[in-house]
Amino acid sequence: MLLATLLCYVGFTALCLSMSKHHGELLHSKLSVGRGRLLRVLGWALLCLSLSSALSAPAWGLALVEWFAALMASALLLVFLIPFRPRLALILAAAGLLLSPVAAFNQLLV
Amino acid sequence: MKDGFRQAMAWLHTWIGLIFGWLLFAIFLTGTMSYFKAEINRWTHPEIPVRSVPAAASIERAQAYLLQNAAGSSRWFISLPDDREPALGVMWQTPAQEGKRGNFTRKSLDPQTGEEIQARSSMGGEFFYRFHFQLQMPHPWGRWLATAAAMLMFIALITGIITHKKIFKEFFTFRPRKGQRSWLDGHNAIGVLALPFHLMITYSSLVIFMSMVMPASIVASYGNNVQAFYADIFPNTNGAKATGTPAPLTPLMPVLSAAQGQWPEGNIGRIVVNNPGDANATVAVFRSSADSVIHDTGLALMFNGVSGAMQSAPAPRSGPMLVSGAMYGLHLGEFAGPLMRWLYFIFGIAGTAMIGTGLVMWLAKRQLKHVKSGVLPLELRLVHVLNVAGMAGLMVAVAAFFWANRLLPLGMAERGDWEINLFFSVWGLTVLHALLRNGRQGWREQLALGAVLFAGLPVLDIVTGGKYLLASLQQGDWVLIGFDLTALVTGLFMAWGATKFRPVPPVLVARGDEQAAPKKSRQLGIDTTQLEGEVN
Repeated sequence: MLLATLLCYVGFTALCLSMSKHHGELLHSKLSVGRGRLLRVLGWALLCLSLSSALSAPAWGLALVEWFAALMASALLLVFLIPFRPRLALILAAAGLLLSPVAAFNQLLV
Repeated sequence: MKDGFRQAMAWLHTWIGLIFGWLLFAIFLTGTMSYFKAEINRWTHPEIPVRSVPAAASIERAQAYLLQNAAGSSRWFISLPDDREPALGVMWQTPAQEGKRGNFTRKSLDPQTGEEIQARSSMGGEFFYRFHFQLQMPHPWGRWLATAAAMLMFIALITGIITHKKIFKEFFTFRPRKGQRSWLDGHNAIGVLALPFHLMITYSSLVIFMSMVMPASIVASYGNNVQAFYADIFPNTNGAKATGTPAPLTPLMPVLSAAQGQWPEGNIGRIVVNNPGDANATVAVFRSSADSVIHDTGLALMFNGVSGAMQSAPAPRSGPMLVSGAMYGLHLGEFAGPLMRWLYFIFGIAGTAMIGTGLVMWLAKRQLKHVKSGVLPLELRLVHVLNVAGMAGLMVAVAAFFWANRLLPLGMAERGDWEINLFFSVWGLTVLHALLRNGRQGWREQLALGAVLFAGLPVLDIVTGGKYLLASLQQGDWVLIGFDLTALVTGLFMAWGATKFRPVPPVLVARGDEQAAPKKSRQLGIDTTQLEGEVN
């Protein structure tokens, strides 16, 4: 479930950055059309990947519940971090991006 | 047309939210606390020791105790201790007489010694749990009112989604320190981001009471014979009648191991013995509700109560039963481990905060018109009083309940009832207080009082129950200290809320001319932003 949670958070951050308002607010740069589209596709893809990684668990019912919890918790965390600790919000996303291959590898081993 | 529709939905959302908001706030708050029902019970009954005793040994002690103290009962109920409930729970029911149901007696045993634990009389977490769907009203009125509130909550959620124009555009938006704007942002953000939880918790509450709310399909299939319906749903609790021929009860320990053999990966939750000591005795072994998301109180392994042989395994449930069981289980969250339980708690607070912010916004929006005169019309004043007492006052009352738990004399008659009386008396007093004190002072004083009471709980616990706290810490048990820390954080949060209600600087009040008015109104807006404190 760690992998799913990381992917949720990173996915939401990508979706958030695909909106020019938040992109400017967080990265202090203008968002190009192509980049916005890329981030949007990436965000949705990560959320889908997160769901599929969660559902690979044998007890899929419980996994689905946990995935929803991870989805809501990561979105709440992100939205309330942005106005108060914008840098931390981005650092967490970067850390999530870096950690997720490790978490994926770990999940494959188990 | 579209705008007209949206406006109609906004109207519905606004007025349902106002009229049922205070009730829903109380239901959500106490319901959220109920995710930690067992932990609250631990704190309110610190005498119950934590033991690690194998299930087999504790069932023997339960049987010995019940043979001695509850012979001749029609049913025994045994709850084995688990990670969250350290006591061995036993309950028995006297035989029914003249069509009246027999009475229940409940005791907590020490699983190590099999002796009764002399714990203080308190409803503890059970009170908040019962209150959240029965509202301390006579049966069945409280359930009806709570269910009606749930139905309206469901409507408020759906109309809220329809009303929210920029659900995707403002998905990630929260702008603090912007008065009304921040309140609406916060209301929308916690509503939308935790929407799956809000929809699940509200819809599942309707599913839980569906046989009460929508009995039409039951009546159509079973007519007036509702008993037959329940016998179909709960095939194993429909115990056979006693024959009157005495026969010794089989030892329960082998029964338990046989049941465990059927569920190699599961845990045993509850054991029910029907007609103990009779030739027609049966033993039903239920699986722990922590084992599965699907909550099913009707499934059990049945054993012959004299020979100990297994009689029947539960038949697989139909699809609709599984769905309703899953809804039930999701609402209760008994399957949740510690992390998941905390998340349930946080989403519950989010739901409570969503209702609270909505109530505050309703008033703040209408208050603006009266800023100049400084006098609120009667109906707005009423809403204000109910806001203060319904949110800050409820928190004060919750804290008072816990104070009563520690301060009322242990030997007092009907002690548990007095805790509840105190809860409602304090809540009533906060209404009175909110009536007497004007606007900001009412908020400030009640939040401050709540802060003192909550932050004082850990101190009170150390003074009155320090030895229990110490003993539990030595065993590496974090429940009691976790409760104290949560109380402390709640207290600090309320204190922070109270500081946002500092009196308006006298300069502003005295001037009161045209120029100061907009400034004052802005100040009002900013201050209401900070109300969030009371919401938690």
